[in-house]
Parts: sequence; C-alpha cells; structure tokens
Amino acid sequence: MPTVKFFATLRQVAGAREIQLEADNVRDLLDRLSTSYEGRMDRYLKISTVLVNGKNVVHMKGKKTKLKPDDEVSIFPPLGGG
Amino acid sequence: MSSKYGGYMGKFLDIDLSTGDVREYEVSDRLREEYLGSKGLAARILYDTVPRGADPLGPENVLIVNTGPLVGSGAPCTSRFNVSTKSPLTGGVLSSNCGGNFGMFLKRAGLDGILLRGKASSPTWIRIEDGQVELEDASELWGLDTEQTQEKLPKDTGKMVIGPGGEHAVRYACIISQERAAGRGGAGAVMGSKNVKAITAKGKAKVPVANPEKFQADVKKWIHILKSHPATGEMMPAFGTAAFVNRCNETNTLPTHNFKRGSFEQADAISGETLADTLLTSNFGCTSCVIKCGRRVTVDGKDVKGPEFETLGLLGPNIENADLAKICEWNYKADLMGIDTISLGNTLGFAMELTEKGLMDSPLQFGRTEGISQLIEDIAYRRGLGDDLAEGVRVMSEKYGGKDFAMHAKGMEFASYEPRGAVGHGLGYAISNRGGCHIAGGYMIYLEANGPLTMDPLTTHAKPQLTALMQILLDALSDAGSCQFTAFTAVPKQALALQPSGLLYRILAKSLEAFGPAISVMLRYPQALAIVPPMDLLQHPKAISDLTGMKLTFGKYIMVGQRTYLIERMFNLREGITGAQDTLPRRSLEELQTSDPRSRVPLAKMLPAYYRVRGLDRCGEPTRETLDRLGGACLTDEALPDYNPQAGDGAAGRGGALCPPLSSSQH
Repeated sequence: MPTVKFFATLRQVAGAREIQLEADNVRDLLDRLSTSYEGRMDRYLKISTVLVNGKNVVHMKGKKTKLKPDDEVSIFPPLGGG
Repeated sequence: MSSKYGGYMGKFLDIDLSTGDVREYEVSDRLREEYLGSKGLAARILYDTVPRGADPLGPENVLIVNTGPLVGSGAPCTSRFNVSTKSPLTGGVLSSNCGGNFGMFLKRAGLDGILLRGKASSPTWIRIEDGQVELEDASELWGLDTEQTQEKLPKDTGKMVIGPGGEHAVRYACIISQERAAGRGGAGAVMGSKNVKAITAKGKAKVPVANPEKFQADVKKWIHILKSHPATGEMMPAFGTAAFVNRCNETNTLPTHNFKRGSFEQADAISGETLADTLLTSNFGCTSCVIKCGRRVTVDGKDVKGPEFETLGLLGPNIENADLAKICEWNYKADLMGIDTISLGNTLGFAMELTEKGLMDSPLQFGRTEGISQLIEDIAYRRGLGDDLAEGVRVMSEKYGGKDFAMHAKGMEFASYEPRGAVGHGLGYAISNRGGCHIAGGYMIYLEANGPLTMDPLTTHAKPQLTALMQILLDALSDAGSCQFTAFTAVPKQALALQPSGLLYRILAKSLEAFGPAISVMLRYPQALAIVPPMDLLQHPKAISDLTGMKLTFGKYIMVGQRTYLIERMFNLREGITGAQDTLPRRSLEELQTSDPRSRVPLAKMLPAYYRVRGLDRCGEPTRETLDRLGGACLTDEALPDYNPQAGDGAAGRGGALCPPLSSSQH
C-alpha cells in the first residue's frame, strides 16, 4: 500500500514520519487521513501541497491522481525557507 | 543632504580611511525616489565612486553600509542593513544583506548609510555616535574571532565585525552582526583590506514618519498578516528555513555530492523537523521581527545560533554528510571565523570531487567529517590546504581543472538549490548580477518546487518573464529595507484555504505558463500600474508611501526594482562582465539529473526571452531605450568606452560584429 510521508507540523500531529495507508487516489487518501486522525489533521491537510513520488499532484490529476501500492505520497504544509 | 521624505535620516557619511576625513556624501531626493535605499541606492553610489578596474581589495574600492527607509520605522521585519562593494569573489557588483540590529542602530545614530574609502594605516574600528565618527585603534581586536570582538566592543551599540577570514582576505569572508551575517561575496575581505575590524553605531535619533496615523495602521495590519499566515506565523517559527531540506529533497532540488544529484537518502537526518526534535533549544528573531525563523542550538555546552537551510544543504548533502551536530559545530566555527557557509560548503564539495577524480591531492572525501572543523580554521587563516580553499571554486577550478563541475556563476558559488530540478531557478543563477545567488536570481524555486503554488519545474514556459518579475519584486523589497521573508505572505492565507492540491490550483499552475506575454507588457509599461496590488499581496508599497510621503504606486515600486538590476548590470559591464558570463557550468547545462530528458537547464532557450523582457540586447546589455525609460541615460556616456547609440541595438553599440550569437555550447 502507498507510503504517506508527513512533514513539518503534520509530522507532529501524526506522531510519525511516515505510515502505510490503503487508498485508491489522493482524495481517498486525504479523507482516510482525516478520519484516522479524528479531524486533528484537517486544518493542515486543506492548506497542504501533496506530492506523489516527488511530483506535485497539480501537475498530475489533482486529487483524482491514482495511487499504486509502491507510491510515496508526501504532504507539506506551506513553508518558508531561505 | 537632508530629505523632504519620511523614513530617511537625511545623512550619508563618506569616510576616507587613508586621511581620516569625514564628510557628507550627497544623496538627493531624486535618487531616493529612483532607488529607495539599501541595495539599489548602494549600487548607484558604487557605480559613481568605484573606478573601472579597481582592485576589490585595494584602497580604490569602497565599502558601503546602508539602510532602506523602512529600517527602524517600526514596520515588521525591517531591522536590516545592506553592504555593497566590488566583490573579491566575482570582480563584479556585490550587495549583501544582513539582519540583526545594526541597521536600526545606524539610523538611531542619525545616518542612512556610510561609505568607506581608502585604507586605514593600522587596525581600526569605527565608532559612530549621534552622527559623529571616531576612528579608534583596533590593534587589540585584530586577530580575535567575531564573538570575542563583539564582546570587547561597547555594549548597547549596534556592531558589525569581521573575523580572521576577513583579516586574511578569504574571498568569501563575511561580516557578522550579532549572530547574523552579511554572508556572500567577500564583503568581509574588503573590510579587512581597509584595516577595519569593526563598526559600532548608537544614538537617540528617531525615524521621521510622513503620515503617522496611516503608517501605524499599515504596521498593525502587516503584523497581523504575518502572524496569522501559516508560513510566517506557524511553520517558520517552528522549523525555520530548515523546513526546506525535506521539501527540496522530495523535489530533487537538494544539492548532493557537489550538485551531482538532487536528493540525499539521509536528508531527513539533517532536516528542520529533526533539528526541532533533537538539537533545537529555542527560536529567535532579529529586532522588529515577528516571524522569528532563527534557530538556537547547543554546541559544546554553549547556546549558539543554529544552521539555516543553505548551510544544512551545503555542509550536509552536498558533501554527503548526515551528521546534524557536525553541521551545527561547523556553522558556529564558520561564523566565529567570519566566512560564508554557502561558499564554504560548495568549496568543500568541489575539493572532494576534485580529489575523487584524482585532480587534487587532499584528504577530503565525500561523507568523511574528520578534519573539517580544523580546515575551516585553516581556510580563515589561509594555512596549507585552507589557503587553496580560501580562493573559492572558480579560482580552484583554474588551478586544478574541473570547470565542468565547478558549481558557480560569475565566480559566486551556487546557493543550496540544485537547478536541474527547477530550471527557472537555474536561469536565475545565470543572470543574477552578483553570481550564483538564489535571492538575486529571483528565487524561482518557490514557484517551481517549494511554494504552495508551483508550476511544472522543468518547463521553460514563462520562466524568463517570471524570473524577471520575481527579481524585481525582491530587489524592491531589499531596497525598502525589508526582510525577504515578508514576501511569503504573497499567497494570502485565504488563497491557501482553496486547497493547494485542488482544481483551482491545477488551473492556476497551468495558467502561470501562459503569463509570459502579460508580464512582458506589465514590465514594459509599469507606470500604468497606478494601483496597489489586488488582495494586498504585498504590504510594502503602501507602507513605504505612508512612511515616506512618496506616492509609490505598484508601478513605481516595480520601476525601483528594475532600476536596481539595471544599475548593477551597468556596473558589471563596465568591469567587463558581459552577457558571456550569464552562464552555468556544464554539469547544469548538459548532464541530465534524472532519466527525464528535460532534467537539465535549457539556458539557451530561456536567455533571449529573459534579455527581451529586461530590455537588454542579445548581448545582455541595456538598450538605449531601456536606459532612457528607466532614467538611467546619464550613465551611458561614461559607462562603456565604446558607447555608440548609432551602431547597434545595444546601448554599448556592440549589437553587431562584436556580439557573438548565442549557442548551446556557450550557454
């Protein structure tokens, strides 16, 4: 099943760097995360960028992007850097 | 010369270190309108005062320390100062920006800036109090590190000092103020060449405000925006700039093995998240900062400044090091010695690859941390191998070879973003006037890989135009005296709520690729933008207007940024740094980063469009029309020896036979 990698504050909410989660597509995965963490992630999930294997899903099919078992899904809240 | 505008102290001092004479350098209100202050104004003064061909480390070079109007005004994140000079690393224009509190103290001392020329006959520190200057004996300070030096200087003053790196003319020696650095390009070496160990400033002056009530309202609103935005109000305080380590790693833009690759298997071990979980003791900010992105860590039982993203990337993956504690230790050591960690990490990576390929005999190896701490000291004192590394990547490549993988542009080593994973960012490295810098290059990485709204990182569509626009906005921000991080609110929190993985962002990301022509028109006719940007995307123009009393429309703000690039470009052209140097090493241009055939920087494809949107000819030189439009025509007569407006399409009159056609091998 796909690996979900959490970053920044999402990692603190999840209490883990990554988890395995069964999901057919990105929308399904985000819904399952919301449910699994009882809404505690929602605030961040809705403003986060989602990458599948390093590629932003906005350049794929957005939330309809299909997920394969060996895919890595990375979720980033909005960051600043230097 | 005093000013009719708020935000300025109206005094800029010219200090001749050779004679000890101090007089006023006249800055007119017209120049303030055209350049605002800081980087742009300093570039203009540099252009007017440094003779062509001056030795960067000779008495003919000048060192300018100045501020923008927002500094010391109470606006958030504006305690910055700028240092400009002719760079000993690149031989071209240098502007280096620093946080801390010195900028605010300089304005309290009643000054917008100072210009140092000549050379003191013995080690000196410059004491500035209420606009008066004393040149003090610094023989007891010479040889001390930056921390010891600051401890020995008077308390309750703003301080900027050099360490052994600046004393020994390391080409990338920096200036340290508190624990912040004017890091890039070797301004510390220039200060050392003038026998100046430190500058202190204090005073009781207050920054005048043209429209106090409106300005206070602007400041209050601005602080609220910064504090309530997820990036500046939550993520940066929690993780600092280091949060970009993992993001870059995921997007193949984290320099690894001297920029050979874009990701590092052990990146998480040196990430902002790991730093927050392990070594971080607290966060901190510069004076007047509401973001507080600074990290504090413990090194050898001492509470010190932690590493920034750039340092983590270049002293981590770039040399295949996953030991976070070592990076913290080296970062502290480099600050004590007064050398730039970005150039340091590049130079180490380059020396490691030279050694790996048998081109250089050294004990350096990727992944091997032994001896690095001592080597940092040796670089600062130019001892043994350190003497070679003190020269930086370009000079080393001339001595040892390896130019194909000498990762610099115009002599300045790349920042911590691998450009083959974000090709617009690569264009930025190539056309930046100060060399391989992420900020001066427009910071396209934010629109390609790291921001909430990113376009295809490998397409060339609209990248030249967006690069120019981003550069202009960031230059104007610097000119005003603001921290660049205030721009992270340009995508408002309300827009983030529209879900960055959703349909609207998909449409916007694709639409950005079609924005090129619109940006070209906007930058050709900026005076038509007689409005503030919609949705208050940037707070700066209105705040500057209310502070200064200038009627600064968004269009005029853009023209300030355009002039800044132009005057820097003219300085470089006069020094012989032409469009031929708007290029990148072969590794960036021709070696594929991944199996994707687009994973290299197609510079030849982007450069002509960039030149056009900037009003440059195909040699990268400003056209006469551009100079006239931006009010810089007075520069041309003295700017270029072969200036001939009749001869060709460029102001330099070299649009004909002397201008070689662009080719992929050249660019």
